[in-house]
Amino acid sequence: MKKLTLVLSVFVVLAMLLAACQPAATPAPEKPAEPTKAPEKPAEPTKAPEKPPEVSAAVNKEVCSGKTIKFLTIQPHNVAAQNLQTWFQEVSGATVELIVVPYDNVIEKAVLDVTSGANEVDVVEYWYPGLGTLVESNVLENLDQWYVDNAGWLKADDFFPTYFDTFTKIGNSRYGIPYDGDMHILWYYKPLLEKYNLKPPATWDEYLNVCKTITEGEKGAAYGCAIMGAKIPLILIGTFLNRLGSYGGSFFDANGKPVVNSPEAVAALEGLVEQSKYALPTASAVAFDEALGGWFTGKVGMVEFWTDLGSMTDDPSASKIVGQWGVVPLPKGPGDKGKVVASVNAGFGVGVSTGSKNKECAFEFLKFTADPETAKRYNTVVGGIDPVRKSTLDDPKYIEFVGKEVADAIREAHKNAVAWPTSALWFKLQEPLNDNLSLALTGQKTPKQALDDTQKAWEEMLK
Amino acid sequence: MNATIEKYTPKLMALPTFIILLIISLVPLIYVLGISFTDSTISKPFNDFIWFENYKKALTDEVFGDSLVNTLVFAFVVTTIQTFLGFVLAFAMQRERKLSGVLRTLALLPLFTPPVAIAMIWRLIYDPNQGMLNYYMLKWGLVSAPAAFLGDKTLAFPSIMLADIWQWTPFCFLLCLAALQSLPRDPYEAAMVDGASAWYVFKRLTLPMVAPQVIVIFLFRFLIALKVFDLIYMLTFGGPGNTTQVASFYIYRVSFKQFQTGYGGALSILVLILISVLATLLTKGRELLLKRVE
Repeated sequence: MKKLTLVLSVFVVLAMLLAACQPAATPAPEKPAEPTKAPEKPAEPTKAPEKPPEVSAAVNKEVCSGKTIKFLTIQPHNVAAQNLQTWFQEVSGATVELIVVPYDNVIEKAVLDVTSGANEVDVVEYWYPGLGTLVESNVLENLDQWYVDNAGWLKADDFFPTYFDTFTKIGNSRYGIPYDGDMHILWYYKPLLEKYNLKPPATWDEYLNVCKTITEGEKGAAYGCAIMGAKIPLILIGTFLNRLGSYGGSFFDANGKPVVNSPEAVAALEGLVEQSKYALPTASAVAFDEALGGWFTGKVGMVEFWTDLGSMTDDPSASKIVGQWGVVPLPKGPGDKGKVVASVNAGFGVGVSTGSKNKECAFEFLKFTADPETAKRYNTVVGGIDPVRKSTLDDPKYIEFVGKEVADAIREAHKNAVAWPTSALWFKLQEPLNDNLSLALTGQKTPKQALDDTQKAWEEMLK
Repeated sequence: MNATIEKYTPKLMALPTFIILLIISLVPLIYVLGISFTDSTISKPFNDFIWFENYKKALTDEVFGDSLVNTLVFAFVVTTIQTFLGFVLAFAMQRERKLSGVLRTLALLPLFTPPVAIAMIWRLIYDPNQGMLNYYMLKWGLVSAPAAFLGDKTLAFPSIMLADIWQWTPFCFLLCLAALQSLPRDPYEAAMVDGASAWYVFKRLTLPMVAPQVIVIFLFRFLIALKVFDLIYMLTFGGPGNTTQVASFYIYRVSFKQFQTGYGGALSILVLILISVLATLLTKGRELLLKRVE
């Protein structure tokens, strides 16, 4: 026993010495989390051009030929990434290898790749709320000069303001390009609504009524709505934000102080909990795959989903409800503060990793991905990538691909978009919110209690 | 000279292995212990030495407390059932019969299946809308509406336990079978000559002789079960609420979702201490039990 105590004491002393002797890292200043409203207009490039900007997005074969670059992407975007891989290989002579990870693991994979020194990744597709974390961890190359150099063909003002700053900018600098613009809109399955003589809902009260009527009428054969409430931040917080924004609430006020337990937020969560009682069983276990499973088989009357659902639904190999769907904006919240919003849930940007071993070619890949002409190509194939450029949304080929109804819904959604915060603190803050939303959804806490607890946790974290 | 060489040769031959073991086990442990005294994040390792602040925080962290309780409950329940089932199966299959080879291979299949595949299989089985379990429960009139095995706060944890029992019972079966087959045959022959009943032989011979090994199997499996992660990650992500949150998954969330590696390190050390204490207690308990059996 004495020996054991001695050995343990040596370990502890060694560990404490190790910890105490490390040079203190320069603490990066923590900014308060940003409010959820998307910026109104894109920021101007930060530096004056030193040379005439490039007028063509043509890939420089010389720097890529014979090289191999690795593109970190997410599983739902695998098909789009494979397309990019093929097209870029054709024009560059490079080999592109894909590293495909689950959608909720992409930020940790990118951070660990650089901080561990593995430096396997050259180009990173990142979920935009993780941008602050990536920048703080020095994972992404600063693109200020790149934006200046490529201003000629890049046409930054063609990016939707909803996405441009939110997806790419931290402080005064840019670290990526918008790649996948992902907003939620409300999809409905026409035959189910028509069967009960129901119209697509314009308010959350109507939504509850439609969901309840179908679920009670179908007696288990189908459900009025699918609510994605699985305990995954991207899923559950997105579903909550759909209501929070439309009820007139937000995560933070204009000064960056948390207001997640405001009366509007509590009412929004109460609404969500009530709606979930009639949703595809069971909201707290429904994520991306389960919601799609219900939707594609015609078992679900309505689903809040991303704007690419139409093209996926019209694929007869995956869906039984081809051509039988409609789409409207998310319902409006109640009262004076109620409004129609579209939550920017799950948008993605692309940046170059600071650990890239083939940085020049990685920048060529970035250029190729940002090219408006490439965007038109990958936005018109089934692959989960929604337009980030106005020119794509106006492109006749894209309108033909998604249908005018969807294109109009996307255009409408951009008028009232709400985005997630992108501060470096957000990944820490989202965990108690995610926990508490799940506890409310399963009845283990009341909505007010859940949001009060979140507010308390956030205030503690932001001290 | 020869005596000296003879004396030290075995130690020298073992030295490379010892050094490698030291590096791969102690260095990470000292590293984790080190960062647990700091306010480290994933991008700022060894940031700010804060003494025992992380440990103080952990002791008042309700989610961590709940996750420890969940871990212990999970490990105890699944290990007890798996050891019992494993022993029963092994006892039934210990004699060579027709097809016993095929049956043993089939029984071991879950053990050879990758954990991710097992989780996916159970996710499909439990699916409320297209899952096999709900299909038959509805068809046979056992329920009037589909059960949300992974979304219901009372069903989620037992559902994960069931998947784990399916996955790990073969492990206990295999070890119990080896233990049963290693028992000496003489006492059985003597008992047969004396005309002892099957139950008497089991109670008076098999059980006392095999008990030491079964307790070790229980101990092994219990320690492995304390580290459960894959099924939680794939099936519920710790939800709904925190009902299936276990210690290893909570540490993962703190370290790789919130990127608070300093705090995650402190939690890891606390779990390590808890497991070490439990392992010591169980080993002592085993010794006491063996003395009683003898």
